[in-house]
Amino acid sequence: MIAGLEALRLWRSRRPLVALLALLCFLVLMLVGFWTYAESRTKGAAQFEYTYENRSYFNGLTFALYAFYFGFVLLLPIFAAIEGGAQIAGDSGGGALTLLLTRPLSKTRLFFVKAGLAALFSLLLTGMFLAVALLIGLCAVGWGPLRLYPGVLQMTDTPQFLKRGEALMRFALAWPAAGLALLAPLAFSLWISSWAKSAVNAVGTAVALYLVLHVIAEVHFFEDLRPWLFTSHTTYWRGLFAERIDLREMARHAAALVGFTALFLALAFRRFRRREET
Amino acid sequence: MVALVEVKRLSKRFGARAALTDVSFAVAPGEIVALVGANGSGKSTLLRLMAGLLRPSAGTVSVLGHEPFTQREEVMRDARFAFAPPSLFDSLTAREQLVRLTASPSRSVDSALATVGLAERADDRVRTYSFGMRQRLAIAQALLPPPRLLVLDEPSEGLDPAGVRELRALLLRLRAECGVAIVLASHLSSEVESLADRVVVLDSGRVVFAGSVAELRAGGERLVLGVAAMSAARTALASAGIVATPRGSTELLLQPPVPDLTEMQALLSQAGVELLSYHVETPSLEEALLARAARATP
Repeated sequence: MIAGLEALRLWRSRRPLVALLALLCFLVLMLVGFWTYAESRTKGAAQFEYTYENRSYFNGLTFALYAFYFGFVLLLPIFAAIEGGAQIAGDSGGGALTLLLTRPLSKTRLFFVKAGLAALFSLLLTGMFLAVALLIGLCAVGWGPLRLYPGVLQMTDTPQFLKRGEALMRFALAWPAAGLALLAPLAFSLWISSWAKSAVNAVGTAVALYLVLHVIAEVHFFEDLRPWLFTSHTTYWRGLFAERIDLREMARHAAALVGFTALFLALAFRRFRRREET
Repeated sequence: MVALVEVKRLSKRFGARAALTDVSFAVAPGEIVALVGANGSGKSTLLRLMAGLLRPSAGTVSVLGHEPFTQREEVMRDARFAFAPPSLFDSLTAREQLVRLTASPSRSVDSALATVGLAERADDRVRTYSFGMRQRLAIAQALLPPPRLLVLDEPSEGLDPAGVRELRALLLRLRAECGVAIVLASHLSSEVESLADRVVVLDSGRVVFAGSVAELRAGGERLVLGVAAMSAARTALASAGIVATPRGSTELLLQPPVPDLTEMQALLSQAGVELLSYHVETPSLEEALLARAARATP
């Protein structure tokens, strides 16, 4: 009963539509950005020839990977935070939580239905984003092998080359891997949400803290601190685009993310159980 | 008879502010109890404690034999709550809301919607509803499935006069046919008077009265004297320490405790004031409530 009700409420909330439209706009802007960048580098002969990192061959797969990387770091966590904020604080502010809690429904079940639904939504959004990025890359740029070079985006430490079929397989693997990585910021936002009384406060706080943690994770100066931040592990899926995947390193990051997710969920659940609805 | 609701020495604090202090009362099966009090007197806090949405700071609440905050699920199996303003899922239709939230068969849902007069708008999104319609839907969801205890916060708010009358008839029918006990928080003295077996009056988070409507009114009875010379009569009564409040140009009101009538007649006669009439007046419920609140104010 409750899972169906919550799924219908999520669908009718328009949050999925808004998220998809925002991601689509982002991809179009990325496309324009790459185009104008290439144009300026080729003195008017617009070719998708140059990337940020190297004067390497640029194609639809490169576009999809870069777009997904930027989207994953900057956009998807915001939508995860919005979902986490809406699930508890948003429902509390709107009175929906009061309505749900005045039915014979355990807080445990309600919490895990909400968390599960938010996780499923994030996973689907990640998959849709990746699929649309690939589709736009194919239609607007065209596909070929994936070449990556060391650069500011830290996609790789050494030049990498993946044939098209192999690269597409890696994209397919990147979906669940990135989906797993997004669970940590989602659980983090649920935890913040379990303390907040309004969705705006929950989302604002979660996004602000995520950005701070993300910046700290990216600054080498904080080397000793980085392993203790979930944001240091979230882009581990980039390792899938290496010619030889370092499975041990991937598993280490994945385990850390699972640990962070479990911790944040446990904290959120504890707070949710004790929470009062005034 | 085992009480369905038992509140003992219940207190609730929000930080330094005491919302409820030492509140005790009980609700028996089939009984209708009205919680009455000014805004901020603690009625809604009390209802939320009964629903397990808040945790008591001190004292205990038992609803249907369970402690609501820790055993909320058990409480909600046989108790329904409708808070003010009504909380609803705006993006759903009324029918979707009732079917999915209450897990009731569609026949029961249709019947509940018809009972509250929403059958024709059952498939419209709740966000298009007026306040009164939202209130009706909140009442419909509180009826599904039929509870043993119904707790309503300001149920008549937003309803038109016909809706108010229908609601009162419905609540009385539920009690008569199904033995449902009802706790309602209300500002409307007419509602309290027509429905409640007992009244619990709250003032600043404390119970200042608990008893029947008749008992509440009885405490506020006063003597009304009809006199020809108002000023002289007040002076004569004041000389004996009796405070009389003028009402109109020929009536004086004497609040309880009412002094001996013969003594007053003698006083007035000595002052040359003719006593034209006298009678004992029972206050309206509203006046009795105000008097209770005034008495409770330090």
